[in-house]
Amino acid sequence: MSTTEARTTAAAAVTASGLTKVYGRSDAAVHALRGVDVSFDAGAFTAIMGPSGSGKSTLMHCLAGLDTVSSGSVRIGGTEITGLDDKRLTMLRRERIGFVFQSFNLLPTLTAEQNILLPLQIAGRQPDRTLLDRVVETVGLRDRLGHRPAELSGGQQQRVAVARALAARPQVIFADEPTGNLDSRSGAEVLSFLRTSVRELGQTIVMVTHDPVAASYADRVVFLRDGLLVRELAAPTPQTVLDTLVSLEGAPC
Amino acid sequence: MLRTTLAGLRAHRLRLMLTAVAITLGVGFIAGTFVLTDTIQAGISRSFGAAADSIDVVVLPPPGDKPVVLPDRTLAKVREVDGVASADGLIRGTAALVGRDGKTVGDHPTRGMSIDSRVSITKGAAPRGPGEAVLDENTARLRGFAVGQAITVLDQMDAPHRFRLTGLFDVGVDQELAYFGAVGFDAATARAMTGVKGYAEIDVKAAPGVAADRLRAAVASATGAGPEVLTGKALADRLIAANGASAEFIALGLLLFGVVAMLVAALVIYNTFAILVAQRTREMALLRCVGATRRQVFGSVLLESALVGVVCSALGLAAGLGMGGAALAVLEGMDVPLPTGTVALAPRTIAVGLAVGVLVTVGAAVLPARTATRVPPVAALRTQPEAAVDGPGAGTVRRVAAGLLLAAGAAITAVAVTVLGPGEVALFTVMGGGMVTFLGVLVIGPVLVRPLSAVAGWLPARMSGVPGRLAVDNSRRNPRRSATTTIALTIGVTLMTMMAVLTGSIRANYNHKLEEQFPVDFMLSTQREGSHIPSGVGDGLRGRPELASLVRVRQAETAVTLGGREARRTVGAYEGPLEVSASSGSARGLAPGSVLAAEGLGVRPGGTLTLTPDKGGEPGEPVTLRVAATFDANATPLPPLVVPPTEFARYFDVAGDAQIMVDVAPGADPDRARKLLEEAARPYPTVRVAASTDIRGQFDEALDTQLMVVTGLLGLAILISLLGIANTLSLSVHERTRESALLRALGLTRPQLRLMLSVEALVLGLIGALVGVALGMVFGWAAIQTMFADPIYAPPVGQVLTFVALSGLAGVLAAVLPARRAARAQITAALSET
Ligand SMILES: Nc1ncnc2c1ncn2[C@@H]1O[C@H](COP(=O)(O)OP(=O)(O)OP(=O)(O)O)[C@@H](O)[C@H]1O
Ligand SMILES: [Mg+2]
Repeated sequence: MSTTEARTTAAAAVTASGLTKVYGRSDAAVHALRGVDVSFDAGAFTAIMGPSGSGKSTLMHCLAGLDTVSSGSVRIGGTEITGLDDKRLTMLRRERIGFVFQSFNLLPTLTAEQNILLPLQIAGRQPDRTLLDRVVETVGLRDRLGHRPAELSGGQQQRVAVARALAARPQVIFADEPTGNLDSRSGAEVLSFLRTSVRELGQTIVMVTHDPVAASYADRVVFLRDGLLVRELAAPTPQTVLDTLVSLEGAPC
Repeated sequence: MLRTTLAGLRAHRLRLMLTAVAITLGVGFIAGTFVLTDTIQAGISRSFGAAADSIDVVVLPPPGDKPVVLPDRTLAKVREVDGVASADGLIRGTAALVGRDGKTVGDHPTRGMSIDSRVSITKGAAPRGPGEAVLDENTARLRGFAVGQAITVLDQMDAPHRFRLTGLFDVGVDQELAYFGAVGFDAATARAMTGVKGYAEIDVKAAPGVAADRLRAAVASATGAGPEVLTGKALADRLIAANGASAEFIALGLLLFGVVAMLVAALVIYNTFAILVAQRTREMALLRCVGATRRQVFGSVLLESALVGVVCSALGLAAGLGMGGAALAVLEGMDVPLPTGTVALAPRTIAVGLAVGVLVTVGAAVLPARTATRVPPVAALRTQPEAAVDGPGAGTVRRVAAGLLLAAGAAITAVAVTVLGPGEVALFTVMGGGMVTFLGVLVIGPVLVRPLSAVAGWLPARMSGVPGRLAVDNSRRNPRRSATTTIALTIGVTLMTMMAVLTGSIRANYNHKLEEQFPVDFMLSTQREGSHIPSGVGDGLRGRPELASLVRVRQAETAVTLGGREARRTVGAYEGPLEVSASSGSARGLAPGSVLAAEGLGVRPGGTLTLTPDKGGEPGEPVTLRVAATFDANATPLPPLVVPPTEFARYFDVAGDAQIMVDVAPGADPDRARKLLEEAARPYPTVRVAASTDIRGQFDEALDTQLMVVTGLLGLAILISLLGIANTLSLSVHERTRESALLRALGLTRPQLRLMLSVEALVLGLIGALVGVALGMVFGWAAIQTMFADPIYAPPVGQVLTFVALSGLAGVLAAVLPARRAARAQITAALSET
C-alpha cells in the first residue's frame, strides 16, 4: 500500500483513495470494494486482475465515473469526480475518458468510421485528421471503414472500438476485458495495438483482464481480491502473473 | 405450456400495457355505441308503447305520396260503430307562431294541431274555445313565452290572431313536432288556423269489454276501402320500427368509426407481438431445445394473445358502459329530443364486444406466432441477444404485389373520376379505389420508410446534431416495424385530411354556387312556400337611393303539359335588372307567347309546352308557349319556367312577390340598407330579410360542426395509433438498453438521450402524417370530382399543415415516457445486462 501512496505524483492520471462501494442495504449488502487506494500513471498501461467477483469491473466503473462510490475519492487528472452531478460526469467522460467494453461496443446503425468519429461528434470537436489516419492505419481497418458492425468479425469490432477510444485522445482509456470474447490471435492484435498506442502516442490505459497473457502486455499489474488491492507487479510476464495468481488463490488476504 | 405462457405474460405485462389500452379503447367504443343506441331504442319502445296504451284503434288516411286527410264523414261513421266509446280526430297543419320580435319564429312555420285527451299537458290547462292555445315546452322556453301570456299566431292567409297561452304540452317522441315546434288549439280553432279540412288521424277508444282486434275489424268495415285501420299496438310497433331504424342508422355510422379504431388497434397489436417475438427469440429457441414442438410454440403465443384479448375486451365493455352513459348525458344536456333511460349492457353487446376484441387480438397475433415457430433451436446458442435488425424488407414479391395494388387503386379511381359521371356510384368507386391503394401502401410501407425518414428527418437531424442523426438512423433500422407503427397513424390522418379537403372544397363549391344563385346582397322572402310578400314592400323600396337594383320575382304553381305529360310546376316572372344566362337559345327572345325553361325539363329552344292559367282557383283555357331558351336552374334564382311579367299577370292573379333581390348601391352603407329593408318588412311577420353573408355563415357553421364531429370520432383511431408509437418506442428502448448505456458512456447527456428518442418519434409521426396527407389530398380530390359537375378543389392548406405538425407533436408526446425511462437507466446496470 505504501508503494501506491509513494506513486501519487503529478504524473498520476487517475488516483483513487479509500474507495468503497456497497451494493444493496443492510443484510443484503454486498461490499464490492472495501477501501481501495490505487493510482495509475499517465502514459502507462496498467492491468487489473483478480478472481471473478473480486470487484474489478466495479472499480473500473467507479474510476470512470460510470457509477457512484459509497465513500472515498477518485481524481482524474486533478479533478475530484466523486460528488459531481450527472451532467458534469457526462462532460468528463465526453472530454477526458475513452471506453472499450468486452462486447457490444458499437452502434449497429453506424459504419465503422462513423462509430470511430461518434465521441468526437458528440463532443462537437473536429477530428485530428493526421491522428485519425495513423490510428486507422495502425488498426489496419482502412478497407473496412464503410462497413457496419454486423459485417465485421469480433476482433475487427474490438479494434474499431479501440480506434474509437484513441481517436478522441482522452486522458485515460478504460478497457473491461477487451479481449474476453476474442480468440488468441485477434486478442494479440488488439493488445499489441493498445501497447503501441501507449508507447507511441503516450496514451494512458487501464485494462481489466482475466488472462495472464493479456496482462503481460501491460507495464504494471494490480491484483484485487474481495474488494481489496492485494498485490502488484511491475514489468509482468505471463509466467510471473500466473505465479502471483496462484499464490493469491492459496494465501488468505 | 399454459404455465409458461402465464409466466411470460406476467413478465411482459408492462410491455403489453399500451397494447391492452388500445384494445380496450376500441372495444369500448363499439360497446359504447351499442349501449347508446340500445338505450335510445328502449326509450323509443317505452314511449310509443305507453302512447299506444291509451288508444285501441287508429284510423289513418290511405297511404300514398300526396298528403290527404280523413273527411268529417269518416269520423262520423267511426263514432257510430258499435263498441266505440269515443273517437277523436287529430288535426295537423301549419300555424306560424310570431316571436317577440314580431317575426315568425324559425326557418319553417310551427305546426298547428288539435289537442285531445292523448296529448300530455305538462303545465296549465288544455285550450278551450277560440281564444286559447298551448305551446310545446321547448318552443315556449326557446322563444320566451310563459303560461298566461298572449301569443300571436298567423293563419293560412298570414293574418295574425291573438291567443292566451293556457298551458304547455310535451310533444313526446314526435320528431316532426319536436323539430318544428307546435301550437295546440281545440279542434275547431285548429281547423280554422291550419285551414286543414280533415283529420290526419282518428283515435278510437273501445267501450269496456270490447277487444281491440274485434273493434278494428268493425271500424274497418265501417270506413270501407281506403283508410288504414290499425290497432293501437300495431301502430306503436310500426312507429317503433321506423324510429328504431334511425337509431340503427346512428349505430351503423358510429360503428364505422369503431371499425377504423379496431383496424388501427389490430396494427398496434400485430406490431407488439411481432416485436415481442423478435425479442424473445432466445426464449423461444430455448423452449424448442427442451423439446417444445413448433405447434406448442405457436400455441403459446396465440394463447398469450387470447388471454390479453379476453381481459382487455372485458375492460372495454366496462369502458363502453361508461362511454355510452357519458354520450347520453351529453345528448340530454344538449336537449336533443331523444327518449332515454338507464344504460345497460345487452347480452348482444357483451357477445360482440368480446368476439371483436378477442378475434382482432388473436388474428393480429397469428403472423408473429408463425414467425415464432420458425425460430430454430440453435438460436438459443447465439450470443447476440439483440433482436436482428431486419433488412430492407423488400423482396421482389412485396414490390410486385404493392405495384399491382397501387396500379389497381389508381385505375379504379381514374375510372370513377373520368368515366362515371358525378354521383354516388362514382363516390363509392373512389372509396373502393382508396382502399385498394391503401393496401398497396401498407405492403410497400417498409420500402418507403427509408426515403421518407430522410425527408421527414432532414430538418430535425440538422437542428439537433448527433442525437438527431442517430434518431433518424434508428427510425429506419427496422423498416417493417416503423412502417406498421406509422401506417396506424396514417389511417387516421388520411381520413382526417380527406374530411378537411372535402369540407373545404364543398365550402368553396357552395360559395361559388351561392354567388351564382344569390348574386345579390340581400334577399327578401317568406317563411312559407306559397305565401307572398305583399306588393307594398317592393313598391315602397323602388327608387330608394341606397339600393342599386331591385329584382322582383313572382311565381305560381299550375298544371303544365310537357312532352305529352301533365304535371304541376312552378311558373314565374321577374321584373328588374337580372341577367339570365341561357345555356341554349337566347334569353332576349322572351316575348309574349314564349317561355324560358330550366335545363333538364326535357325541352329545347323552339319546342313548345302547354300551360293552364289559373285565376282565383278557376283553371282557364290552356295556352301553348314556345320555348325561347333554356337556362341552368342551379345557377339562376328563378323558378323552372319563366314567362314575361305582363303575360304572368294575364295567366295568374298572384298579388305579391315570392322573392325580392336587392343590391346595395355602390358606396352606400350595407347596414343602413339592411335597416331600410327590415323597416319595409316589419309590418309583415312572415317576410324575412337575409344577407348573402348570413346564408354563407349558416352553411359554414353546419360544415364546421360536421367536421368537428367527424374529427372527434376519428380522434379515437389517432389516439390508438399514438399508443402504438409509444409502444413501439418503449419496446425498442427496452431492446436497445445496452446501446443507450454505451451512448451515455461515450458522453451523451440524459437530455440528449431523451432528445434522440423524441426525434425518432417525431420522424415516425411525420412519416405517418406525410403519407396520410398525401393519400387524403388525392382521394379528397377524387371524391370532390364525383360530387360536383364543375368541381372546385380547395384543400385547406393551413389545416392540413396543422395535421402534419400535430402528428409530429403527438409523436413527441408519445415518446415522453419511454424516453424518460431510457434516460433514467443506470449505465453500469445496463452495460452488465445480457
Ligand atoms: N448491481 C449490483 N448489485 C449488487 N451486487 C453487485 C452489483 N454489481 C456487482 N455486484 C457484486 O459486487 C461484486 C463485485 O462485482 P464485479 O462485477 O466488480 O466483479 P468482477 O471482478 O468484475 O467479476 P468478473 O471477473 O466476473 O467480471 C460481486 O460480488 C458482485 O456480485
Ligand atoms: Mg467484470
